[in-house]
Amino acid sequence: MSGDPQHEPRGKNGRAPDVLRVGGWMPMREYPQNEAVDFAIVGTGAGGGTLACRLAEKGFKVIAFDAGAWWRPLEEFASDESHQKKLFWTDERLCDGEDPIKLGNNNSGKAVGGSMVHFAMVSLRFRPEWFKSRSILGYGADWPIDWREMWRYYRIVENALKISGPVTYPWGPKRGRYPYRAHELNAAAMVLARGAEEMGIAWSPTPLSTLSAPRGLAHPCAYRGFCVSGCSTNAKQSTLNVWIPRAVKAGAEIRDLAMVGRVAVNEAGLCTGVDYFREGRWQFQRAKHVVVAGYAIETPRLLLLSANGRFPEGLANSSGLVGKNFMVQSNQAVWGLMDEEIRAYKGPPSLAITEHWNYADKGKDFFGGYAYMSQGPLPVVWTLTQTKRGLWGEALLKEMQHYNHQVGLKMVGETLPQERNCITLADEKDAYGLPIARVTHAYCDNDRRLIEHALDFMGKALDAGGAKDIWRETDDTCHLNGSARMGSDPRTSVVNADGRSWDIPNLWICDGSVFPTVGGVNPSLTIQAIACRTADRIGVLAARGEL
Amino acid sequence: MSMHTSRYPGYDVLRKRDTPSWDEPTRKVIKERLATPSDPRFLDAVQWRALEALCACIVPQPIDRPRVPLAGMIDMRLHANAGDGFRYARLPPLREAWRIGLAALDEESKGRHELPFASIEPAAQNALLKHMQHGELASGAWQGMDPQLFFTHRVLPDICGAYYSHPLAWNDIGFGGPANPRGYVRMYYDRRDPWEAVEAKPGKERQALKENRRVR
Amino acid sequence: MTNNRMRWAGIACILAGVAATAAVMERPQQRRLCKRARQVHIETSRAFNRSSALLAGSVLADSAMEHYRGSFSNPVMYVPPLVATFSILAGLHGGADRHAQTHTVRHAIYWGAALTGLAGTGFHVYNVMKRPGGWNWNNLFYAAPMGAPTALLLSGALGAAAERLRNQPARAPRLLGMPAGRALGLLSGIGLAGTAAEAWLLHFRGSFQHKAMYAPVSIPPAASALLLHAALTSPQPRWLARVMLRMTWLVGWLGLAFHVRGVARHHGGWRNWSQNLFNGPPVPAPPSFAAMALAGLAALRLREREPR
Repeated sequence: MSGDPQHEPRGKNGRAPDVLRVGGWMPMREYPQNEAVDFAIVGTGAGGGTLACRLAEKGFKVIAFDAGAWWRPLEEFASDESHQKKLFWTDERLCDGEDPIKLGNNNSGKAVGGSMVHFAMVSLRFRPEWFKSRSILGYGADWPIDWREMWRYYRIVENALKISGPVTYPWGPKRGRYPYRAHELNAAAMVLARGAEEMGIAWSPTPLSTLSAPRGLAHPCAYRGFCVSGCSTNAKQSTLNVWIPRAVKAGAEIRDLAMVGRVAVNEAGLCTGVDYFREGRWQFQRAKHVVVAGYAIETPRLLLLSANGRFPEGLANSSGLVGKNFMVQSNQAVWGLMDEEIRAYKGPPSLAITEHWNYADKGKDFFGGYAYMSQGPLPVVWTLTQTKRGLWGEALLKEMQHYNHQVGLKMVGETLPQERNCITLADEKDAYGLPIARVTHAYCDNDRRLIEHALDFMGKALDAGGAKDIWRETDDTCHLNGSARMGSDPRTSVVNADGRSWDIPNLWICDGSVFPTVGGVNPSLTIQAIACRTADRIGVLAARGEL
Repeated sequence: MSMHTSRYPGYDVLRKRDTPSWDEPTRKVIKERLATPSDPRFLDAVQWRALEALCACIVPQPIDRPRVPLAGMIDMRLHANAGDGFRYARLPPLREAWRIGLAALDEESKGRHELPFASIEPAAQNALLKHMQHGELASGAWQGMDPQLFFTHRVLPDICGAYYSHPLAWNDIGFGGPANPRGYVRMYYDRRDPWEAVEAKPGKERQALKENRRVR
Repeated sequence: MTNNRMRWAGIACILAGVAATAAVMERPQQRRLCKRARQVHIETSRAFNRSSALLAGSVLADSAMEHYRGSFSNPVMYVPPLVATFSILAGLHGGADRHAQTHTVRHAIYWGAALTGLAGTGFHVYNVMKRPGGWNWNNLFYAAPMGAPTALLLSGALGAAAERLRNQPARAPRLLGMPAGRALGLLSGIGLAGTAAEAWLLHFRGSFQHKAMYAPVSIPPAASALLLHAALTSPQPRWLARVMLRMTWLVGWLGLAFHVRGVARHHGGWRNWSQNLFNGPPVPAPPSFAAMALAGLAALRLREREPR
């Protein structure tokens, strides 16, 4: 092992950590700072990491920067919720608005590999109609991409990650078989299944990005249950152990512990490179193109931080929409107790799912959809859930005694894009001396009706599954999207379908911020699909001389 | 003090320390946690007394086993200034919130009982905390910080989150604890792996105690 | 039973299975003796006894492990390992027995094993059906395995066939109203196909992640088809069937080696045996191919000598 990865960069001296081997290294190409690389990518998560891989494989010279550490999961991930906070983005951010959101543990990663290092591995496709939700379903905004094209890319990503999923999926157009078989259900997932069957709706084992059989050097899932604290077996297929190693092999350079603070733009209004902080000093990397892939808070923050005389409102912001239409997903839950021992801490947390209310349109008094999944909170997350309903003292200890009997259903619900939900810069500064992000969020009436519907239905389904003493967790959110949406009109969007900025032709965005709508499924698979598509489009444009 | 008897008598997750359920990084992390000092590094003596009393109210620990050094864990966190990655705009930063909050708690207590928080009766302490929880405190000592918000977004999550990160608390709730490289095999209802805690069913407490002592 | 004792019981069962396997390996010297005595059908009976024992060994280890995994939640879960043990003993005894006469005790044991296998299949079907989703892929993968009790049924059937064959005349022995070679060929051919079907299901569950996982779903089915063909058509030398059956035998033992390695391939390897023996590939399963190959080869030898 070598040094503290949070203080000493590992992607250096022509080598990178080989995360699949204990103490292993792999050669890594390095590019000089004063020679412009083809692409400087800011962020190595589902968007940036995937794009770095696909661009490098097409022969482009790529450097990807990440503010976080380059971890070795086999050696450095403890089986401990608190310690593993080291994977989260814990730099300060301010949250306000009518319904201020919580950040940090469940939606913000700071590591090479981004939030995928601690994501819950749920890998779902959008419902086809969501790509035209304005024209077909009457809400939100249309995507400038056709669903069939996205479904082709979904397939590519599912194969790249060897998603473990059911042999046949109950909802939507027919899709091919998942590359790996679904995992065994745990008891918590069976309660979801029972409830769904009682309610007369379909359910399915969740398509998960964790191996149900060996793959290369990666072990199959050991059902440890610490998935959202980081997978120490490498069963979880993520940017960290799939896309990034591929990127490095294809000639990309990854710079860890490198916080990008500004995208530089010249007189002609074109990007020239990025300013980044690494090893105690600000440095500059020249690049022909810059891709911002920092997820839906850091991406608009960086674009706003990069404001200059030429672009006083921030980069790519002629529409005024950078930071606007920020969307989370509603993540409310119902919880109850079973007579049987459930021990939901075993196995991946969300082994069963129903997407019924994503695909059914009848019986709804709201726009949008939601999925809900079984749950497996570990003790710290579970006590935080309990304190949210005001429990403390003897009441809390008594409730916590039921830990091994608790069971729950948690939604991932669509929220509508609203301009008032936004990312702006606060006066407060972070450790780099940069203004921190202010995240303003409020639900709209439609969001509230959707949540009410979900809580009501999930309550009945949990009851039908055999649980008693059912109660509601009414305030949680997950995932960060929107804030730099794609579209087909420069006046109402920040980037085009390829993620290319309307204002600055060599500035691109590739992450969840480009989503015009979020749908009712976890976004990571869609972000990766977009990244693969963006890479292909860049290849096409380069061949045509249109880069 | 709690007289609640454990549902998992005799279960001690630390007995698994040298089994395949624990790996080296985890052993190191837990060892450090178990060695949390029981005197302050960040807080002063007055704040420390208030914090200890507050922790005892929020988590009344069982008396028949060693105590989780809660105040020490909070103090360590303040010392490291380890934030959550966000804060509500209406709350000051982590350290400031706790400094103001602990001082204000003493002021509120003195205002009612002429004694600092740590010196009043447990019933009075709990009553005061209920007022805080329900937004019924308004002394100037809060310096503009909303006491209710401080209670729901700092006091409860910080103290309870620290408590359930400690192995002693895992024992109480029958959590399997660290699990690497050995995870779990038996996923079905009412099934446990031999390295998981045995729940005491009514009338079978002695058997559970016996079996839990063998859980490795 | 307590955890530790259950654990040791599991290990003991596995060791017993391995020992039994070693004991029933055919000895060529004895075969020559038999041939000299022109007691081909007795030789066949003994081969079937041994094959039954090897299969029962696989069942013993597998059911002991899997039912331990299932925490012996129902007391009847102790029955299959027990019955399989008797089946092994019967097979060892029969394998050494040259008497041209049915052995009543062995015969009874074999019938017991077959009925236990049949009842086990019922229990396993119930276990699959009571889970949410009922008869779906995930339950076939992870609920009580359908193929496992069938192996016990098969072990009993092979043994019972061996016992009945002993009562037949040396010249033109018959079973179930047909020439004995044909009957045994059909029995072992179908059994082999069933064993391959189970391997397919479980290797499909493992997404055929290793190329070797295709071996048991290609070679044994081919051997099974050739054996069935030999049984149903007029008797003559069938060298290809014999080669494929010998390869099937090899698949069984190589499979064992691959599964041992497969356990090592899981997180924590053999050091984490208390998890990986159960979540990894089933170590006792592949030798059942060797058992079926032994029966198939014996059946083929008998069939080849039958009058046209």
